[in-house]
Amino acid sequence: MEKVKCECGHVNPYGTYLCESCGKPLKEEKGKIANMRYEGVARRSQTYKKSMIDRVWNFFSSVKVGIWIIFALLITSSLGTVFPQEMYIPPGENPAIYYEQAYGTIGLLYYQLGFHNLYSSWWYMLLIASLGISLVIASLDRVVPLYRALSTQRVTRHEGFLKRQRVFGEAEGLDDPEAEMKKAEKVLREKKYKIRKENGNLLAEKGRFARWGPYVNHVGLIIFLIGGMLRFFPEMYTDEHVWVREGEQEVISGTGGNYFVRNNEFAIDLYDEENEMFEAALERAGGSVVESFRTSATLLKRSSNGTVGSETELEEVKDHEIIVNDPLTFEGFSLYQVDYKLNELSTFSFTLESETVDEDFSDFIFEVDLNDPQKLYEFENGYEIEILEYFPNFLIDDNREPTTINRIPDNPRIIFEVFPPDVDREDENAEGEISLIGIQVNESLNGDHDHTIRLAGVEMVDVTGLTIRKDRTLPVISVGAIIFMIGLIQGSYWHHRRIWIQNREGTLLLAGHANKNWHALKKDFSLISANTQIPSPVDQLDEAAKEKENEGVNQNNV
Amino acid sequence: MKKRRLLIRSIILGVMMVAIGFTFYNHFSADRGLVSEGDIAPNFVLEDMDGNRLELAELQGKGVYVNFWATYCVYCREKMQYLEEYHEDYNEKGVEIVSINVDETTLQVDRHKQRQGLSYPLYIDRNMLVSNAYGVHSLPATFLINEEGQVIDAEVGAKTEEQVIASLDELIPSN
Repeated sequence: MEKVKCECGHVNPYGTYLCESCGKPLKEEKGKIANMRYEGVARRSQTYKKSMIDRVWNFFSSVKVGIWIIFALLITSSLGTVFPQEMYIPPGENPAIYYEQAYGTIGLLYYQLGFHNLYSSWWYMLLIASLGISLVIASLDRVVPLYRALSTQRVTRHEGFLKRQRVFGEAEGLDDPEAEMKKAEKVLREKKYKIRKENGNLLAEKGRFARWGPYVNHVGLIIFLIGGMLRFFPEMYTDEHVWVREGEQEVISGTGGNYFVRNNEFAIDLYDEENEMFEAALERAGGSVVESFRTSATLLKRSSNGTVGSETELEEVKDHEIIVNDPLTFEGFSLYQVDYKLNELSTFSFTLESETVDEDFSDFIFEVDLNDPQKLYEFENGYEIEILEYFPNFLIDDNREPTTINRIPDNPRIIFEVFPPDVDREDENAEGEISLIGIQVNESLNGDHDHTIRLAGVEMVDVTGLTIRKDRTLPVISVGAIIFMIGLIQGSYWHHRRIWIQNREGTLLLAGHANKNWHALKKDFSLISANTQIPSPVDQLDEAAKEKENEGVNQNNV
Repeated sequence: MKKRRLLIRSIILGVMMVAIGFTFYNHFSADRGLVSEGDIAPNFVLEDMDGNRLELAELQGKGVYVNFWATYCVYCREKMQYLEEYHEDYNEKGVEIVSINVDETTLQVDRHKQRQGLSYPLYIDRNMLVSNAYGVHSLPATFLINEEGQVIDAEVGAKTEEQVIASLDELIPSN
């Protein structure tokens, strides 16, 4: 593609609207006022359409495309909030069923379209990636030519450029134009303009760095996105959940099986319902409200010798009282208190009773640890009780067979076989008294029994819910956010203003351009005219609007 | 000039594509689990119901069929029945079956073994240490480990009898 040589001698890239150097319009444009967007430079995307790379580049360079990407992200992001995401539906629910059950046909559709996992879906991620690419390319395509144009701009501009600025004025018949210009220069210097002069012409410029604000802002955004991207890289980000029973320890996921957390004790305080101060508020809340909950935790580390598995040895590292917002931290990991489950069943104690057998059962009591029941319980009086089956979370499955849902003793059922002293357990033909026992359940499974097992006591433990969090991307995200803000401030609180004054054989041409806040620019011009004989230039847009209005009035009068 | 522009554009696009590609790869390969095809199987030590010690490293030279299971997992039951049928044949061919329960009570595992008539040893993974090391999230989860200790396949979910046999065949050591 050919370059365009301006009459001032500067060679402009193809597609330039206004000469980079003198500002002469190189293309015929409609309207009285020049389009000053990006200084009228050739945006690189608008020029070439050749190879595949250029096509991709041009696509992402378009601001229109960028806005559509943002629009699509807005729509899809909000769709993801219509129903809860998969990770927020009640634990243990099957999403395939849950969404239809809870929200009907729309819920089913929501699930089938994959909106239940929207923010980590490939197409959502692809949209975010496109936004990133669009930001990089669109910014590069504009900031580079803009920078070049602003640094190569000449003081002496083409008359056509000046006349087509929004604020333009001519001062004819001045007694001493040069002296007036000097005065104007002084005024502008006092207003902290940077002044360049060339052949008696003048360019006053102020706040150019505000032009870089949007690009600094974009750099911040890109760093922010990179920070978000880093979450997907190994070792950078962990967000897991762990339940730990009192007195037990669990592995901390993400640590490669090297760290464990033990729950020594879980405690919870409720607001005092007797206290007058809280009474009204508690009534409104409709029940008891937790004041604080905390876990006394111990961090354990797997000792370096010993293979994973049953030979793992643990060393205590440190103790910490985990409260909301006061996590246990180690090596970039934080364990936060987020949840709890009170009164999980842990031990059942049973007694044996009999109405027919003459035996004293008053001391007869045995305990079954629901997390590790024994197979056989033997007693001094010759009785033996065997556990035939144990179901921590009882369920009759689709094959009408008893089974357990999981390994958590939420609804335990035990099948006992009681052998009185006169029945030999080892004898294959001998049959004890078999019964199914659970909470509120006591069924005989083989006819009438002489003995009855009674549930005599229940012990419970509290379970603490901790979130395991590691986030090495936060510094990157913070830096991105800070740069974003700097860019925003830079572009918002300063504005680039330029004033050209040219002396054309005694006639002064005045033109001004601002990227925003034209009012301030006009005020600066008023200040010049107040201190000199130079009249204030007019806003050609206002003039045009006035003319239009007048035409309208005239037409109405006809 | 034109060439340079193309080069710069290609480099910038290339760098971005690589970064995005790597992100996607990481994100969607995370679903495949911690240990997957081609990895060296992490070593572990477990004890069976009778207290016999098993160390994976000592099984070098044999194909190892590591199966994570639970009593409440219906598909595990079917799979373990198939294994019951074939484990002796394959043992002779140099394939070891390591059946690992995910931290249920000893009683349950014991009763399950009796009820299902399983004759091969069952190991209980206390505290889910091994399951965590292998990134087991759903059951049954199976890792096929060849005679060099390398994972040649990681399978999750129900398998037919034919599929189990095919997996066992894959594990037969070549020499």
